[in-house]
Amino acid sequence: MSRLSLVVAGIDDTVPDVRRLVLAPADGGELPSYTPGSHLVLDVPSGPGRERALANAYSLVGESLHPSSYEIAVLRCDPRGGAAGGSAWVHALRTGDPVTATTPRSSFAPVQPATRHLLVAAGIGITPLVSHLRFHARWGREAELLYLHREGRGAFITEIDDLTDGSASCFHDRVSLLARLRERLLDQPIGTHLYTCGPTGFMDLVVAEAQAAGWPSSRVHLEHFGLDDLDPGEPFDVTVGEQCFEIASGVSLLEAMEKQGYAVPNLCRQGVCGECRLELGPATTGVWHRDLYLSDDDKAAGDCAMACVSRALPAADGRAHLEVLL
Amino acid sequence: MTSPVTASAPHPPHYTSVPDWTREPVVQPADPLGRVHTVIEVVGEDPAATAPVVAGWVAGLDGRDVRHRACPDTAAAVAALEADLVTAKVGHRVLVAGSADACLAVRAAGVRGGLADDEMAFGVVSVETRTVWCVHCSAATVAKLALDDVVACSGCERGLLVYPHVSRRTGRHLGFMVDAEEA
Ligand code: FES
Repeated sequence: MSRLSLVVAGIDDTVPDVRRLVLAPADGGELPSYTPGSHLVLDVPSGPGRERALANAYSLVGESLHPSSYEIAVLRCDPRGGAAGGSAWVHALRTGDPVTATTPRSSFAPVQPATRHLLVAAGIGITPLVSHLRFHARWGREAELLYLHREGRGAFITEIDDLTDGSASCFHDRVSLLARLRERLLDQPIGTHLYTCGPTGFMDLVVAEAQAAGWPSSRVHLEHFGLDDLDPGEPFDVTVGEQCFEIASGVSLLEAMEKQGYAVPNLCRQGVCGECRLELGPATTGVWHRDLYLSDDDKAAGDCAMACVSRALPAADGRAHLEVLL
Repeated sequence: MTSPVTASAPHPPHYTSVPDWTREPVVQPADPLGRVHTVIEVVGEDPAATAPVVAGWVAGLDGRDVRHRACPDTAAAVAALEADLVTAKVGHRVLVAGSADACLAVRAAGVRGGLADDEMAFGVVSVETRTVWCVHCSAATVAKLALDDVVACSGCERGLLVYPHVSRRTGRHLGFMVDAEEA
């Protein structure tokens, strides 16, 4: 996979616990343009507190057309609280440090024919929506933002103010955001699309409110943030060659295969880096992909899966099975 | 070995642009999650056919905001839908009862008005008639036709093959001169 060689060109720690990082090409010049809502996967080397190398996905928040640098914003996550250590590594970077990353990948783009965009963010989930807002401001598209963040901890407040001409609504508690959201969901002209990013529990609430207001699923778009609280899923079984075993709820296919002694290449263990891709055979009943790596066509083909996040979907008879081809 | 080459038309890559309900009459269910429902009844020649479809939907949506628009023909149906969509909010659903030909035309108006596929449902009462758009002269020909039939274009009289492709934005089948390559 092609990697970009970057260096840390700027650091902004103004907002507590949120580090904004500017990454420039190591040898100067321009970086590839990207679709708003795209993310970058950073290589996180192993080191103190990190037994093995990691790969973390971060949304790009800067200018998406002909950028001379990339910008991301990373929330501090304490390894003592169970974080894998990627965030701590970013928070320890210094200006001039080298960083390698994939080229940007799009997984959460604004819908082109939409006539209006309703954006709902919580916390660091604002990041992909900042690049949406830049895009809408540039092309004169109608957009509305509801943003939930802790008081004094809002990231991108001044940019958001500029990009929305002060029309964005900020909230410091879920209850008031939900009350406003409920009103706004009832008053969007046909052609509007809804985008939400934040913790899974928050997005579930937004989706439930949208459903209750009669929104069809084709108008509702979510950006999941890594594995933070991915659904544990139902148990399913797997065959690898002659061997057959069961994957319990809450255990990933990758973990189960490692336990059986298979060496599956992996890096991020959260569906973003592409290392753990497995080919699947025809006995597979269905795939719940959940990754941010495979293209829609790959997913539709149903003949591959990412071991770290994908699970089997049951067939009509209730049997859930993946046939892994090694 | 000889391979049996019989079809003169290029083979379509897939048939997904032609909805199943234009091949046989299907009544799709109303979506109970919608807040407001416009029910367009394109009465056409056979009011006895659309009435029970509409009655079924209306009964199922009891207690919801349902706007029944009975329209004598497709043009009136398109106008009624367009008028409703001017003020429609997300949460709106559109149900169309009528011939497949009328449903395709009203669906096209819905697509142009910004409706998504999961905001529309169709109750098809007949599938005999199709509208074919001629790629040579742009005339529309309406006739009792099956896919892959040949029909004389109402504009230029060319023999048009009814190609299995329907435009989402017009609701018409694509028609082009049969054996054009050899002409
Ligand atoms: S390990 Fe990165 S996608 Fe699975």
